[in-house]
Amino acid sequence: MNPRRVQAITQRLLHQFRRDRRTLALLFGAPLVILGLLGYLLRGGGDVPKMGVVNLDSAGLGSLVASTLESSKTVAASSMSQADAETKLRSGDIAGYVLLPSDFTAQVQQHRIVAPDVHLEGSQPGLSQSIVQSVSQSFVALAGQAGGVQFAPRISFLYGGPSFDTLDYFGAAFIGLVVFFLVFVITAVAFLRERGQGTLERLMASPLRRAEIVLGYMLGFTVLALVQSAEVLAFSLLVLHVHNVGNVALIFLLEALMAIAAVNLGIFLSMFARTEFQAVQFIPLVIVPQMLLAGIIFPISTEPGPLQALSRVLPLTYAVEGLRNIMIKGADLSWSSLQLDIGVVLGFCVLVILAGATTLRRRVA
Amino acid sequence: MAAEAYAVDVEGVVKQFGKQRALDGVTLRVRRGEVYGLLGPNGAGKTTLIRSLVGLVAPEAGTVSVLGQRMPQLEVLAHIGYMTQQAALYPDLSAEENVHFFGAIYGRVDGVRDALEVVDLWDRRKSVVSTLSGGMRTRCSLACALVHKPDLLLLDEPTVGVDPQLRVQLWDRFRKMAAGGTTIVVSSHVMDEAERCDRLGLIRFGKLLAEGTVAQIKAKAGVDRLEDAFLKLSEAAPA
Repeated sequence: MNPRRVQAITQRLLHQFRRDRRTLALLFGAPLVILGLLGYLLRGGGDVPKMGVVNLDSAGLGSLVASTLESSKTVAASSMSQADAETKLRSGDIAGYVLLPSDFTAQVQQHRIVAPDVHLEGSQPGLSQSIVQSVSQSFVALAGQAGGVQFAPRISFLYGGPSFDTLDYFGAAFIGLVVFFLVFVITAVAFLRERGQGTLERLMASPLRRAEIVLGYMLGFTVLALVQSAEVLAFSLLVLHVHNVGNVALIFLLEALMAIAAVNLGIFLSMFARTEFQAVQFIPLVIVPQMLLAGIIFPISTEPGPLQALSRVLPLTYAVEGLRNIMIKGADLSWSSLQLDIGVVLGFCVLVILAGATTLRRRVA
Repeated sequence: MAAEAYAVDVEGVVKQFGKQRALDGVTLRVRRGEVYGLLGPNGAGKTTLIRSLVGLVAPEAGTVSVLGQRMPQLEVLAHIGYMTQQAALYPDLSAEENVHFFGAIYGRVDGVRDALEVVDLWDRRKSVVSTLSGGMRTRCSLACALVHKPDLLLLDEPTVGVDPQLRVQLWDRFRKMAAGGTTIVVSSHVMDEAERCDRLGLIRFGKLLAEGTVAQIKAKAGVDRLEDAFLKLSEAAPA
């Protein structure tokens, strides 16, 4: 072990980094961006889950519970009619509502049983949990008044169900994401290799048109991506038993669109990297922020306002939403929300195809 | 292709990379069937000139015509074979698969066997490129440039890193192709190769210093050895 030789290596590495400003910027900038984003996301005063309170009880206890809920800080509860609540539940405007029946006070006084109906939208386990918690907390106040009552809510789910768990929620999103990110990285690296080994220059000096190169790449990688999509889908549904009430062909269609978008995003972004190393750097820049903001882990409806706006322009948001619409809610092409999701993903596909083809300059100089 | 007298017609071409003037008003013509050598030291502008012939470099001034067509022109590229300085191949494909791929791009897969035989790689055609020696890769790269039987062959330092024996072999091939009507523009900084060209262009600092047959260039410099002629003519030129 010769310390001078070790030092030579260390020094050379640091010298190299000094030249590679981009890597340095990434090394010291990306963690701040990602952590900052995460901090803002979790502490930025995002919206709490929205819920409805339907009070059919004219006696005192119903309105006591309702007002306790409405003043709760963990949910944004508001009174509404049952019909209203049902519509809002279906449109996703509220994550659930609690129904206090007309005999609510009577039940408490005679049977010492608190039995509200809790209706949950159910597609987002985190939100459902918040609502059930807030509802049960609001009855603590009631228990103080009536004393010794039994809390027995009847919970029903619009989507999913009591066995619907976090994997079911994440699984729907990840089926698309795994394919999207892997295909993106592989295409970007393959295209950079084409540059690095000089074969791209050769192709550029041939009668090939830009569009032909892009299309050829797209088809080649799409074949791989489709096989991968099918594999991921089969594994998720058959082995992991991820909750799915939708049409498998629709899931595959959306996955395929994401794969095509990923191929072209890879081609497009590889134009902005000189080495494979730099291509891999797109992961923290392009992929991690999307993971945080596309509603994969944190529901968009509970993000701080400005981030919600940002999430709404990320194409991945719509892809994730689309997959959940299909798998959790059983959406088909007649649903306007799914039409929007597929439309946005399709539009994004076209955009990156065009971007890839135009950026691939005939003149490399 | 129209029967133009010149396969390559470059007129006052200027190309700037930042502050560096890679081509500084180059004018040269190459006749059909001629072997034209671009001779000059590293960084003289040889590669930039060759790349401008296939439209990979867009000149700031001047015109480039190849096979009678103003460049850049996609159709003309089908008749040009371009061998880059670095052996540009797919390392995970076999020699034959590489040549076949480029053949397919030009719609001439029928030329695969010929091209591989010309460079003596037919026996090694099944070998994956990453397992080939440097010289074999160079030959494979040449085969890729030949597969579509181009009218104009552009070779950017094709014999760098090639042993003397193989170099002689390759030059025999080049001469044979030229005899068959192929125009060849080849860059080099090796003087003994230059002797095998029909005409030479001496290039330095992006300028064409002298042009002519080997004998003409020697006579112009008034020396017997091409190497001396090159040195003398470069010194005489304003940098």
